[in-house]
Amino acid sequence: MPTVDIDPDELRDLTGHDDVGDEQLKDDLFGLGLEFEGRTEDGAFELEFAPDRLDRLSVEGVARSLRYQYGDARGVHVPSTNSAEWTITVDDSVPDERPYVTGAVIRDVSLDEDGLDSLIQLQEKLHATMGRKRAKGAIGIHDLTMLKGSSATDTDTPTIEYVGVEPDEDRFVPLDSDAELTPAEVLEEHDTGRTYADLVSEYERYPAIYDDIGLFSFPPVINGRRTEVSTESRDLFVEMTGTDQWTIDKMLNIVCYALAARGATIEDVTVEYDDREIVRPDLSTKTKSVPHKRIETILGLNLDPDEVVDLAERSGLEATKEDGEDAGELVYEFTIPPYRVDVLHPLDVIDDLGRAYGFNELEPEYPDVGTVGGRHERSRLEDAARTQLVGLGFEDLLNFHMISEEENYERLDVSPDANVYGAGEAATIKEPYSEDFTMLRTWVMPSLLMVLERNTHRAYPQHLAEIGFTAAVDESENTGVTEQRHVGAVLANHDAGYEDAKARLQALARRFDVELETPPTEHPTFISGRTAAVVIDGEEVGVIGEVHPKVLVEHDLEVPVAAFEFELAALQ
Amino acid sequence: MQLPAAQVAVLEAASADEATSVDALAEATDLPPETVTGAVFELEAEGLVTVSECVDETITLTDEGREYAESELPEISLYEAALEAGADDDPVSMGQVIGASGLEGNAVDIALSNYARKGYGQIDSGEITADPDADPASDEEATALESLAADENLDDAAVRDQLERRGLLEISETTVREVTLTDDGVTELMAGLETAETVGQVTPELLTGGEWEDVEFAEYNVEADAEQFEGGRVHILRQTADRVKDVLVGMGFQEMEGPHVDADFWINDCLFMPQDHPARTHWDRFALEQPTHIDDLPEDLVADVERAHREGVGPDGEGYHSPWDEDFARALALRGHTTSLSTRYLSGEEIGEIEPPARFFSVEKVYRNDTLDPTHLLEFFQIEGWVMAEDLSVRDLMGTFEEFYAQFGIEDIQFKPHYNPYTEPSFELFGTHPTTGELVEIGNSGIFREEMLEPLGVECDVMAWGLALERLLMLMYGFEDIRDIHGTLCDLELLRETEVTY
Repeated sequence: MPTVDIDPDELRDLTGHDDVGDEQLKDDLFGLGLEFEGRTEDGAFELEFAPDRLDRLSVEGVARSLRYQYGDARGVHVPSTNSAEWTITVDDSVPDERPYVTGAVIRDVSLDEDGLDSLIQLQEKLHATMGRKRAKGAIGIHDLTMLKGSSATDTDTPTIEYVGVEPDEDRFVPLDSDAELTPAEVLEEHDTGRTYADLVSEYERYPAIYDDIGLFSFPPVINGRRTEVSTESRDLFVEMTGTDQWTIDKMLNIVCYALAARGATIEDVTVEYDDREIVRPDLSTKTKSVPHKRIETILGLNLDPDEVVDLAERSGLEATKEDGEDAGELVYEFTIPPYRVDVLHPLDVIDDLGRAYGFNELEPEYPDVGTVGGRHERSRLEDAARTQLVGLGFEDLLNFHMISEEENYERLDVSPDANVYGAGEAATIKEPYSEDFTMLRTWVMPSLLMVLERNTHRAYPQHLAEIGFTAAVDESENTGVTEQRHVGAVLANHDAGYEDAKARLQALARRFDVELETPPTEHPTFISGRTAAVVIDGEEVGVIGEVHPKVLVEHDLEVPVAAFEFELAALQ
Repeated sequence: MQLPAAQVAVLEAASADEATSVDALAEATDLPPETVTGAVFELEAEGLVTVSECVDETITLTDEGREYAESELPEISLYEAALEAGADDDPVSMGQVIGASGLEGNAVDIALSNYARKGYGQIDSGEITADPDADPASDEEATALESLAADENLDDAAVRDQLERRGLLEISETTVREVTLTDDGVTELMAGLETAETVGQVTPELLTGGEWEDVEFAEYNVEADAEQFEGGRVHILRQTADRVKDVLVGMGFQEMEGPHVDADFWINDCLFMPQDHPARTHWDRFALEQPTHIDDLPEDLVADVERAHREGVGPDGEGYHSPWDEDFARALALRGHTTSLSTRYLSGEEIGEIEPPARFFSVEKVYRNDTLDPTHLLEFFQIEGWVMAEDLSVRDLMGTFEEFYAQFGIEDIQFKPHYNPYTEPSFELFGTHPTTGELVEIGNSGIFREEMLEPLGVECDVMAWGLALERLLMLMYGFEDIRDIHGTLCDLELLRETEVTY
């Protein structure tokens, strides 16, 4: 799970609780679902968080939540904004893949080193989560005093422009560089450029943001050096581009709330699309209606309506009581603040109320609901066959279903397209992570031989069996794959032979009352003349034989091995 | 009277007048002493002989003692050198005397530490004096060593103890058993004895011919370890799975079954997992190279699921602001959780519409593209369970899990509020480790979201939980490396030796 670094002293400053000790603070944070993982080199708390409350990705957001928990804040707080001076215009040339932009102006910030670090961390964490590694939303923060708004239309409205440029059309000096580079050069030569090159390399035109002086941002890759933010910066321009307007607007809200918590003033920005004009940040609240009864049933509690309102306010929400559609039904209209990105459904509000109440305060109760339990027939058959195998002296194994082509076919001298048991087209893994696991096994014999190979230093006899999953491509299936359980068994000992295997196979067949025949056959894994097909109730379902010395030597085995394998379903 | 051959021989060799030692009997009967000892005890039990025991002490010289007996004690060498140097008149430098004595190494220290004790003279401030009246010829220790070397007895206990302390002799004790015939023994002997035949094995001939009545069975060393035997046993992880299944069936759960290779639709989309969720990227799942897509999905359900993703559910619902593509939903992968079975069952696709109340479970394999290490496997068993009923509460969820984990000795479950895209409220479950007492994560749970249930056509509440079976196994058995247990790297010996639990 993701982590966020929080300086405990800053947290105490922002909550106004200087007297809370580190241990108490850790407990309070755990109550918010932020788990203490350790300290960073600088002594900050490293906190693990579940990726729902993305408004807590910085010290300012965590402090806000703690203030609600401590009872210092109640209800919904929305910072006021000044009316727009700046405009972002969106040009037709903007790449279709990344059409959306949003922004805000932040005035009178005072960022010390810690404040600047926190802002950078918030930006990175938002990129990693909501921004989907910048693919869905990317943030650029600039020193406003370094921007010169072009004033083509109106002298009172400084404007920056979101456009698309040819990869080598223009040049700018990116952050962490001294050279003037084109966007295409940034992707090849700059470290950050190389990291994010995949996001835009397929685009015909690259996203770019211009002011009157020229190109100053190449989203989602890197900003220009000219507008770099420092502790000296007093006014900021925040822009975000992405593939979804809602996502970047919410990311912007979280950044605005964090900076407002440090005393900054938020100023609107007008975004002019070809066909519409919007004003951002959108700090409007949302409402969700939840019936009182639903809250009570989910939490398993009887609650006084005033208590529900109180729990809501302690969660940073607001609730008003209303009449529902049914007579006498009580419904609440909950107000959701604009930094919340996790409230998709009225049910999410109930979770907030439960947390404020304290889930661990609830008394567990076994549900008074009677049902009849039972096993699936498939697993009952598997267990019955396994019990018989164990009774016949086999040690039961449990191997991986994923395997490599080499293990599944080659090392058993089987060609995938041969017409023998165990061959056949495999379901294969796309871009496998390890060369040992590239496909699903088509039979269990390879796994059993691998276990024998691994255990030559252990005592013999080794009588091993597995009732295991196998799969092969089969176009007649809806998924294109037929999945079967096979019964596989090996007998490894200095005097193991065909008869030993046949005796046990016969016992199985007898016990399940099926008719077994073993007509001679040829199979490359087994010695010619000592190999038979396993025919159960007239249908060929497997193979039995003495494993060929070539295969034994390949697996570093120095004892003979007799083996059989067949489809479990044949015992039904 | 019939007796086994060894007992007959011993009885014949023993005497009524004189006690005979076991060693003497062994010599007389030409039997190994342990056989004679065994026979003697048998005869004693039958009242034919009496056995007396006495402790015999043997004194033997150590190598060092033997060396001094052959030459002389170091302190005497030192005394002689001191006399030579005139130390009987005036103190002489010790270095000079030691040099002249020819003593080297440890012998110097030994000589010095015994010199004054035995009155040969004094050692003071690096000088040595010799007592002219001392007489090495009458040194008791030297005399005793000589006697012992000549196999003579040593009666003076004080000298013996002193020599033992000096490590010059060893005293060992042995128990000597001596046998005398009793009157009964004499009588039986006079009456005549027959040797009974001993046999190794019960044979069909012995049984049918009635000879078994006259034979003695050769004795075995019944205390010795037999050859190791393995035999069959159920794999320990499978046994744990069966145990879990037993518990769940007992709690009224029915088992689910379904495909390992499945469409992302069933694995993730039906679970209200946004398509751009990090867990759905290439790195976390095992997508299939071939085959690539499922043939058929229920059309109406696909439309409903897409709508839930895009628009949410209910008048105040909101969807994900994420792309949704049917082609991705139809892509095949190895299931990352068995919740794909739950979505198939809940949708009515597997066994038709399920009426509440209902409980379902599975203990089946799932596949995660993780790093293989002592606690993580690429494929492992997931315990998945859900309860469907009208108006389920968080308290019902807590009560169900407390009951389940208590069956495995895990008490004091704690519920940590958590986030899952498909449940709300959600809880991570923590329990106290039965042996170490640590608080460990033991599962993930919650109440399925309406955005998940509504498209599936479920109109009541469903609570669910999941847990890795291997985690439960490791908690129960204290295994440290799961790779020794599960998979082709397994160690047969570990599987063979693991303690049986129930």
